[in-house]
Amino acid sequence: MNKFLISLNIIGSIACIGLATKFIALPFIGTKIYKEDYKTLMFLCDNVMQNHLIAKNKVNVDKSNESIKQLQAAEVGLLSCNDYDTMRKKLISWGLTENDLSQIGIEALEEKASDVRTFVRTHEIKY
Amino acid sequence: MLVTFQVALAENAEIRIIKQQIKSGGFLPSGDLYRNPDEKLVDIGKVIFESKHLSLNGNISCQTCHLDRFGSTDGIPIAAAVGGEGDGPKRLLSGAKLLPRNALAFWGRGAKGFDVFFWDGRVDFSAPKKISQFGSNPPSSDSLVTADHLPVVEIREMLQEDEFVQKNKNESVDKSKEVYKAIVQNLVKKEPEASRNLAKALGKDVSKLEYTDFARTLAAFIRSEFRLKPSKLENVILGKESFTQSELKGALVFYGKGACVTCHAGPHFSDFKFYTVPFPQLGFGRNGFGVDLGRYNVTFNTKDLYKFRTPPLYNVEKTGPYGHSGSVRTMEEAVTAHYDPLSLLAVDKMKQFDKFELAKRLSYSDSTTRVNYLSSEEVNHVVSFLKTLSF
Repeated sequence: MNKFLISLNIIGSIACIGLATKFIALPFIGTKIYKEDYKTLMFLCDNVMQNHLIAKNKVNVDKSNESIKQLQAAEVGLLSCNDYDTMRKKLISWGLTENDLSQIGIEALEEKASDVRTFVRTHEIKY
Repeated sequence: MLVTFQVALAENAEIRIIKQQIKSGGFLPSGDLYRNPDEKLVDIGKVIFESKHLSLNGNISCQTCHLDRFGSTDGIPIAAAVGGEGDGPKRLLSGAKLLPRNALAFWGRGAKGFDVFFWDGRVDFSAPKKISQFGSNPPSSDSLVTADHLPVVEIREMLQEDEFVQKNKNESVDKSKEVYKAIVQNLVKKEPEASRNLAKALGKDVSKLEYTDFARTLAAFIRSEFRLKPSKLENVILGKESFTQSELKGALVFYGKGACVTCHAGPHFSDFKFYTVPFPQLGFGRNGFGVDLGRYNVTFNTKDLYKFRTPPLYNVEKTGPYGHSGSVRTMEEAVTAHYDPLSLLAVDKMKQFDKFELAKRLSYSDSTTRVNYLSSEEVNHVVSFLKTLSF
């Protein structure tokens, strides 16, 4: 009976440690290691996507050879988003949820909001 | 004695020339520009303008970001909207949700000749083909009434993203109708007196009120409260006052060497067209990562990349900080941004991508907006002249 309880205890502990590792420790470590890389890749992908949209719209209004070449180059440029996708999958495998990734995404998009507060503090805008 | 006489004669000639230039630049007396088709709704509009119930769930009113003491704006670089406390810098530092652009002043909005709204002109009734987010069927033929439909359904600006908003947030006119309906219900419930008065003024039942009716009250109030009034410039043109030496020199630069009048023309000192002036970019920008593609976001025409509407100049002295992202603090810096933008930036301290974006903005900048080199003294004179547009 004792052996059974001890085994149960061990199994329970391992399960608890396993769950804590999967749902708390790994996402935490994953975020710590890859967050900045993820933000950079997100920004680079966004940038090539913007370029692609601009190139596509340019062809709509100006069907010159130059515009078409730019669009083709922008299409190839979209391959950069592969790295972002790969990193995204990696982070999901580390246990981050879609919600966590969106949160990091918003943080990256709005990172420069801090410079507004710095600007206001620096200039001490007071009335 | 002869020299003094000659100097006085030259000054008189300068004044005569400059007055001619101001008139041919499109100047009109303030009284000629006022129009208010809904004068009877002004008092109700004041209540709605000041009411935080105009925001469905964000606890914010028009007045929160358009304050008298900041010249009808908020006194900070970019608007600090829902989720904050207080106003101006205090609101910004209190953790309010930030918007990507500088809050606009209201002077002369909806007056004669003022039919292009927002930094990117997303409401533009200046041509027969009216442009707005409502496509070919705007809620009103009045540009200001149509413009008053936008902030209340803008997430972060006057709306918090709750479950109801999430359900209705895709950019379709039909979905937005649900949000407008909810805003009207909220106003009728929480501003019962103003709603009753509005229904009475329009001769309809309270239950039949629509958001457009409330937007009409806002337009009426804005037109009345922020109407253009006689400025020193107007008095000079009418011969009631004279320019100081600095103001006259500034006017000569504005209409001469600086060619500011190329774009800052017409009765509102704006041609209401769109140009790229490489102001520094502050904040995360409408396109994220510190990028704001400006008018391009409205037209998707690559010719409109990084372009913003020429800002009207009445009361410009009171409406700092300046630029679409409020990145320059003083009028002197704002003038400098037109001909020497790099002097406003610590390029060596910028991140690599910010430098890349800056180079892009510079490459798109319009030769039309390129001002000749001005000395710092000349810049100060231009600022003196611009101050004559205050009232």
